[in-house]
Amino acid sequence: MKLEIQNVSKKYSGNKYGLKDFSITLKKGILGLLGPNGAGKSTLLKMIATVSKPTEGAIILNKNNIVKDANYMRKQIGFLPQDFGVYPNLNAYEFLKYMAALKGIGGKDITTRITQLLENLNLIDAAKKPIGSYSGGMKQRVGIAQALLNNPKVLIFDEPTVGLDPEERVRFRNLITDLANDCIVILSSHIVSDIDTIADEVAVLKNGVLLLKGQQEDVINKVRNNIFEVSIPKDNYNSFKNNYLIVSTTRKSGNLTVRYITNNPIENSVKQEANLEDAYLYLTKTM
Amino acid sequence: MSFFTIIKYDYLQRTRSYAFLITLCISVAIAYTFVPEPNANYSTIRIADYIGEYNSAWIGYVTAIMTSLFLSLIGFYLVNSGIKTDIETKVGQIVASTRVKNFSYLLAKTLSNFLVLLTILGIIFIMSVLLFFLHNEGNTFEIFQFIKPYILIPIPTLFFIAVLAVIFEVFFGKYTIIQNVGFFFLFSLLMLPNRYSEKNFSLDILGSKMVMSQMEEQVRQIADIKKAKKTSIGYVIGNVKKAKKFQFNGVVFTSSFVISRFIWGLLGLIMLFITSMFFHRFNVKEKISIKKDPVIIHSSSIIKDIRFSFAIKPSINFSIYPLIKTELLLLIRKGKKWLWLFNGLGMVLLTFLPLQISHQFVLPILWFFQVSRLSEITTKEITNKAHFFTFASYKPISRLLVSQIGAGILLVLFLALPLLIRELLNVNFFSFVSILLGAVFLVFFAALLGIATKGKKLFEVLFFMITYANINGIPFVDYFGALTHTNMYLSKLSLLVFTLAVFTFTIRKHQLKRS
Repeated sequence: MKLEIQNVSKKYSGNKYGLKDFSITLKKGILGLLGPNGAGKSTLLKMIATVSKPTEGAIILNKNNIVKDANYMRKQIGFLPQDFGVYPNLNAYEFLKYMAALKGIGGKDITTRITQLLENLNLIDAAKKPIGSYSGGMKQRVGIAQALLNNPKVLIFDEPTVGLDPEERVRFRNLITDLANDCIVILSSHIVSDIDTIADEVAVLKNGVLLLKGQQEDVINKVRNNIFEVSIPKDNYNSFKNNYLIVSTTRKSGNLTVRYITNNPIENSVKQEANLEDAYLYLTKTM
Repeated sequence: MSFFTIIKYDYLQRTRSYAFLITLCISVAIAYTFVPEPNANYSTIRIADYIGEYNSAWIGYVTAIMTSLFLSLIGFYLVNSGIKTDIETKVGQIVASTRVKNFSYLLAKTLSNFLVLLTILGIIFIMSVLLFFLHNEGNTFEIFQFIKPYILIPIPTLFFIAVLAVIFEVFFGKYTIIQNVGFFFLFSLLMLPNRYSEKNFSLDILGSKMVMSQMEEQVRQIADIKKAKKTSIGYVIGNVKKAKKFQFNGVVFTSSFVISRFIWGLLGLIMLFITSMFFHRFNVKEKISIKKDPVIIHSSSIIKDIRFSFAIKPSINFSIYPLIKTELLLLIRKGKKWLWLFNGLGMVLLTFLPLQISHQFVLPILWFFQVSRLSEITTKEITNKAHFFTFASYKPISRLLVSQIGAGILLVLFLALPLLIRELLNVNFFSFVSILLGAVFLVFFAALLGIATKGKKLFEVLFFMITYANINGIPFVDYFGALTHTNMYLSKLSLLVFTLAVFTFTIRKHQLKRS
């Protein structure tokens, strides 16, 4: 199983690029796609999911160019879009059977598989109710269920944890880890904590361009030895902000404890262990 | 200030769309037909054997009257979704939390509706002036002969239509079918002929009767006929007999008529004020949720971890039967369940009324009842944001689109079933095949317009116009063989259906390629 994205660009009117000359090769495992809003994450995922077509470049799955043969990808993909909808007049069973038919799967066991998915996603109690009466989190889980319906070999999740409560997020992360043994998973988010615990590799995008791709450790190495924490009076915050890249701020008894990135720390600063969030902020703010 | 801001941005939001652009183009095309070419085989306004010289007065008044009818007919459908959009986009919830008063909000929506209609009116006005120069027969151009009828005839009418659209939305917001069909009957009522009198002129919201009466009077003076019968207004096809010309110099509007036009506007405002007392102020969801059973999830199941290792593996199945089944289910479940009583009643009428009445009147009305369903055939994935799934499905054209169209045809044919059986029993194969082709035509027409405009409005408006024309027995738009036709009719209809089908599949394929 190999997915190659070769020099892919998506150009919009007015000579604007949603994605520019993007190349990456993926094998089984989890790729975490990080980037601020408008970085091109959803644009890339939609092209891989065959919802949208690249203006230039090729997307190759197991030597098949899916830009030309979209149906090859469609047979083996599971896609959870960022802002998707459902038909409110259908219940979860009906909607998932419809999705199964759209994906070209069925047979006598399909109802059993749907039941298993609904049970696992804690939707079985509401499965016969119209989806229009579901909460946001429940709709998101229906979306996850449809992505998993066809036992996909390529799984694409665009901001999958939106609407899920903390407990559900943990369970979702466990699910992704479980699935990644057998397929390629691409997970996009701008919440670093959704990705840092599970992703084998991380890619950071900004303004439609790939800034960096690699193992988490390689990405973190970009800022290792450059993360510091210092306590400053509140009044000094604005001038501090103008001179340093701040990662986070915590209030402590009238002062502010600031975590920041620099080669040249101020006096009394304490060196900290770098993490993915530090590296992500460094890359997106400075490159 | 905020009042005008609401109007401004609401107007911009509505007009900055591809569908509105298409609407303007269609309006220009329709306006072009308001004044027939000298050799055209149809007429729009004709008094017995007479039409006016193509001078400023005739073109100005004819286009003003035709615009009043045309825009009243379709204008309602073009603008009757302002509040619905605010509900769907959740902007309404923000509006509800502001200090804006119900009446101010509804008035802003009305004025925004009115501006949209005025924009179309403006385009038609320009077209009417162009028509004067196009068909000029050596007459001088008098701009006032254009401005006067437009101010006094269509403008007050359109304001009232804008008010009606808001009122219908407030009271029947959840029942699109009632809105569509209710206005259909209201408009038909307004079009009923009545005696010419000062009182009736004032009561004529469309504002056309007074002008028609004075046109007839002028014809009577030159033609020496006691009564200028056979006055026709609207499209009359096959009017091949060469019309004689008379000099029409405009109309003297009586003061009571002028005042009545203002009173209609005032009445609209009063109705709007009363309506504002019943406005839900976007407290819609709560009302619905009370009726629905709450969703219960047992907390004990939440802690369970997700495991798919044991899940049954799915098998390949490319049958489109499940897709057709679900598409049909979606069509059937659209709207309130009790509205199916009307469909049932329509089918009963198709069974027992005389065959000709069933075919010519009941069938098109029964099919028009499905306007909200049919307009969603190829647009519901966009409106429900499910297009990410459907467009990325396996073979979306040969499987999904075929299923959507198939389900639509099944529904439309099911409703026509009593009539189809009766036609078969009467060995009337011509009508039987015409109804079959009509059903296919209707569904492809809805599918094509939905795909091309990515919205429902254009189909809804055109379907309304076609149905109105069907009931008035205009052969040109008889797509289901209710009137007498030549032997070529079925061939022409088949060709039309085939053309629509080709365009439907080609445009969808092109869209998927370009996305």
